[in-house]
Amino acid sequence: MTIAPTMTFHPRPEPGEATPWAFPAPTRSTLPNGLTVLRCDRPGQKLVAVELLLDAPLSAEPAGLDGVATILARAFNEGTETLSAEEFAGELERAGANLDAHADHTTLQLSLEVPASRLERGLTLLADAVRSPALPADEIERLVANRLDEIVHEQANPSRRAAFALYAELFEASDRMSRPRAGTADSVKDIDREAVAAFYAAHVRPATATLVIVGDFSAVDFDAVLGDTLGAWTGTPAPASVAAPVTADDTSRVVIVDRPGSVQTQVLIGRVGPDRHDPSWAAQILGIYCLGGTLTSRLDRVLREEKGYTYGVRAFAQPLRSAPDGRGRAMLAISGSVDTDSTAPALADAWQILRTLAAEGLTDEERDIAVQNLVGVAPLRYETASAVCSTLADQVDQGLPDDYQAQVYRRLAETTTAEATAAAVAAFPPERLVTVLVGDAASITGPLKELGIGEVTVIGA
Amino acid sequence: MADQAPSSTNGFVISEHTLANGLRVVLSEDHLTPVAAVCLWYDVGSRHEVKGRTGLAHLFEHLMFQGSASVPGNGHFELVQGAGGSLNGTTSFERTNYFETMPAHQVELALWLEADRMGSLLSALDLAGLDNQRAVVKNERRQRYDNVPYGTAFERLVAMAFPEGHPYHHTPIGSMADLDAATLADAQDFFRTYYAPNNAVLSVVGDIDPEQTLAWIEKYFGSIPSHDGKRPPRDGSTIDRDGSAPMRQHLVAEVPSRALMAAYPLPLDGTRESDAADLALTILGSGESSRLYNRLVRHDRSAVGAGFGLLRLSGAPSLGWLDAKTSGDATIEAVEAAVDEELARFAAEGPTDAELERAQAQIEREWLDRLDTVHGRADELCRYAVLFGDPKLLNPALAKVLDVTAEEVRAVAARYLTPDNRAVLTYEPLAPTDADADETEGSNA
Repeated sequence: MTIAPTMTFHPRPEPGEATPWAFPAPTRSTLPNGLTVLRCDRPGQKLVAVELLLDAPLSAEPAGLDGVATILARAFNEGTETLSAEEFAGELERAGANLDAHADHTTLQLSLEVPASRLERGLTLLADAVRSPALPADEIERLVANRLDEIVHEQANPSRRAAFALYAELFEASDRMSRPRAGTADSVKDIDREAVAAFYAAHVRPATATLVIVGDFSAVDFDAVLGDTLGAWTGTPAPASVAAPVTADDTSRVVIVDRPGSVQTQVLIGRVGPDRHDPSWAAQILGIYCLGGTLTSRLDRVLREEKGYTYGVRAFAQPLRSAPDGRGRAMLAISGSVDTDSTAPALADAWQILRTLAAEGLTDEERDIAVQNLVGVAPLRYETASAVCSTLADQVDQGLPDDYQAQVYRRLAETTTAEATAAAVAAFPPERLVTVLVGDAASITGPLKELGIGEVTVIGA
Repeated sequence: MADQAPSSTNGFVISEHTLANGLRVVLSEDHLTPVAAVCLWYDVGSRHEVKGRTGLAHLFEHLMFQGSASVPGNGHFELVQGAGGSLNGTTSFERTNYFETMPAHQVELALWLEADRMGSLLSALDLAGLDNQRAVVKNERRQRYDNVPYGTAFERLVAMAFPEGHPYHHTPIGSMADLDAATLADAQDFFRTYYAPNNAVLSVVGDIDPEQTLAWIEKYFGSIPSHDGKRPPRDGSTIDRDGSAPMRQHLVAEVPSRALMAAYPLPLDGTRESDAADLALTILGSGESSRLYNRLVRHDRSAVGAGFGLLRLSGAPSLGWLDAKTSGDATIEAVEAAVDEELARFAAEGPTDAELERAQAQIEREWLDRLDTVHGRADELCRYAVLFGDPKLLNPALAKVLDVTAEEVRAVAARYLTPDNRAVLTYEPLAPTDADADETEGSNA
C-alpha cells in the first residue's frame, strides 16, 4: 500500500562551518615524592575525574595467588589508619564522590569522580587510601569470600565465560594473560591479609605512580591541594616494571563451551595483533570500524540488518600489554550473540564477509564515512572530564606520549582506503582465527564441524 | 576541610515554543563544547499497548531506523554517523525517545532526519523491514533477558506488582508470541495513532543559535500535519488488587546463587513524596555505606551484594527495587528476615543526619552526571515537558530533593517499604554446585 506523505520536503541540509576542536593537551609534572601528575583543565566541568595508576601489574602477582592485585584494589575502599571501612565509605559518599579500583595486566587503577566543589575532600580520601590503607584482615577475608561468590556468577554469564575461554586458548598457561584477571577459585581462596599487605608493600609507591586529573580547577588552589594530599604520600624509589612481550597461538580452531539449553550462542572470535605503538594502529581502527564498528558496518549489515541473526555484532581492538619497545599486542576480536539455530549460518556469513574483504577490499565511500565518524565524533566523545581522563590514563598505561590521541586523529584523516583494507585483512585473516562459542553444544556442534573454520572441541560448562 | 557548598543549582537557560501543528520545542544554549543534542520524545510507551500486541512500541522504535521518504534503508545511521554524530532510540513504559548528538555545525541534519521520519515513515515501511527487525528484537530479548541468569526477573516482578489488566503489567520488550503476531497493519496503525507533532516534544541543547535553530525546526517540522488519533493509556496511577493474584513467586532455575528480589510500589514520580522515597532507598540500599550493605554484606556476610534501585514512573506507582544475591550457604529466609528488620528499624527511627547528608550528596553527584552531557540535559528537558508538562522543572529539581526532611524520609519508608506492600521473587539454583548440597540448610542471621 502507498501512503501519500503530506508534509513539505526540503533537500538534505549541508553542514555549517565546523568549530575547530582538538584533543586537550595535559601538562605533565612530577611532585617531590616522585609522583607523576598529568593535569588537564576543562573549564565548566562540574565533576572532576581522577585516575591514579599504580605500577602493580598482574604479572607481578606471586605464583598461585592470581587475584591478589584485585583484592588489594578492592581493599583500598576498606578503610585507612584513621577511618574504619564503614566510615571511609561514608566519608566518600558525604563528599559526593565515587571511588572504584581494578587491577589489570598493565597497572592497578583507582578512579575517583568528585564534584569540583569537594575536590579537596575527595583527593584527601584517595591519598589516605593509597598511602595508609588499613587492609583489615576481617574485611579482606570478606572480600575474598565475595570474590569466590562472584566467580560463580561470572561462570554463569555467557560473555564472561567466552572471554575466559578465549584468553585460555590464545595464551600459554605460563602467561598471566591466559588466566582471569581477578583470579580463579583455586588461587583466590588462599589470599589473606598477609599476601595483600606484601603485594602492597612491594608495588605501591608514588615514584612509579601517575595521577591523571581532569576538570575545572578555577575554584581551588590546585598545587596546594595536591601537595597536601597525594604530595604527602611517601615511599621508596623503584624502577618501573617492564611489560613482557605478548605471544599467542592463533591456529584456527573452534572451542564450544557447552551451556545446555542456551537460546543463544555467545560468539567470540579473536587473535592478537598490533597495539597503539604500531604505525598501522590508525589504519587498523579504520578498517575494523568498517568491518564491525557499528550497525551499518559490514558484519551487522548482513548478520543483523539483512538476516536478523543477532541484536548486534562488533569488531574491536583492545590493547592487552603495551610498551614503547613494540612487543605489546592488542586483542583483536569479533563479539556478539546469535540465536542458537542461526549459529552456523551466522559464522558462515562472517567468514564470507572476511573473505570478500580480503578479495575485494574496502570502498572509498566506506573509508570516507568511517573517517568522518571516527574523527568527527571526537568532540562528543570527549565532552566529559571522565572521558578525557580515561583516555589520558590509557596513554600512560600503555607508555604512549601525551599527545597520542591528538596524533591519532591526524593519522586517521590521512589514512587511505588501501591502508585501511590492508590493516583489517591483516587483523582478521579467515585462516588464523580462534573461535569460542558458549552455547548449546548438542545443537551447534554438528553444523559447526561442517563449516571448515577449524577443528572443533567441546568443553564442559 | 573548608570545602564550599556545591553550586550545582545554577539554572540552565531554557526557552519553550509551540509550532502551529502542536509540536512543543525546548531549547537550551550552552557553548562549552562545539556539540549539540537533539532529542525527541513521543508520548507513547508500552503502557499504551493493547493485549496481544505487547512489545509493539519498542518494535516500532526499531522501524523508525529503517528509512523514511527522503532517507534510504539505514540512512539515519549512515548520515548521522557520517556527520560525526551518534544516535539511538529507547522505549520505556511511558515514552519512546530518539536522539542524536552532533558536532554543532551538523545539528540541522539531525532536525531534517527527525522531521522526515515523523512526517513520512509509512512511505518507507514494508513487511521485509518489519520481519527483519522482528527477528532482531527477538534476539535482543534473548540476549538481554532469556539467555542470562535472573534475566526474566524484571518482567516477573513487574507483572506481580502491577496485576493483569494494569497498563504497566507487561514490560516494553514484550512477549515472543506477541512479537510474532505483530502485522504490518499494526505498525502502520501505531504510527498513525501516536506519531504526530502534537504528541511529541523536541529539545535541542548545546552550542546552538536558538533563533536559527527554531527557524530550522519550523522549516522542517512545521508542515507535518497534526492529528488527534491518539488513544490515551488506561489509568495506571493506582493498583487495584482483588487478592487473587500471588505476590510471591519462587523459582528453581539455572542460576548461580540464591536470590531475593522484590518490587515495592512507591509514590508517583514528580511528587515530594517520591523525592523522599529516593532518599530512603539511597540510605537503605545504595552504596557501601548503606544500611543493607552494612547489614547483609559487611555484618551478616549473607549476601554478595544487596541494594535498592528506583524505577521512576509517573503514570503508575514507581517501584523500589530490592536485589540481594546470597553468599555461600546463606538462606533466603535469613536474608529476608534481615532486610525486613532493617526496613522496620528505619521506619521507626528514620535516617540520621549523617545518612541524610550522604544521600543528598550522592543524589547530587548522580544529577551532575546526568546533566554533564548535552544529551543528558536534552533528555531531561523532554522528560519534564512530556511527563510533567513543564521543562523548566529541571532547574529546581535538585533543590527540591535537598529540601526533604528526615521525618519525611522516615514517613515514606514507614508507609511503603513494608512486607505487605511488595512483590517478591526468590531463586534457588537448579543443580547443586558442590557437595554441600546435602547439608541441612541453616540460618546464619
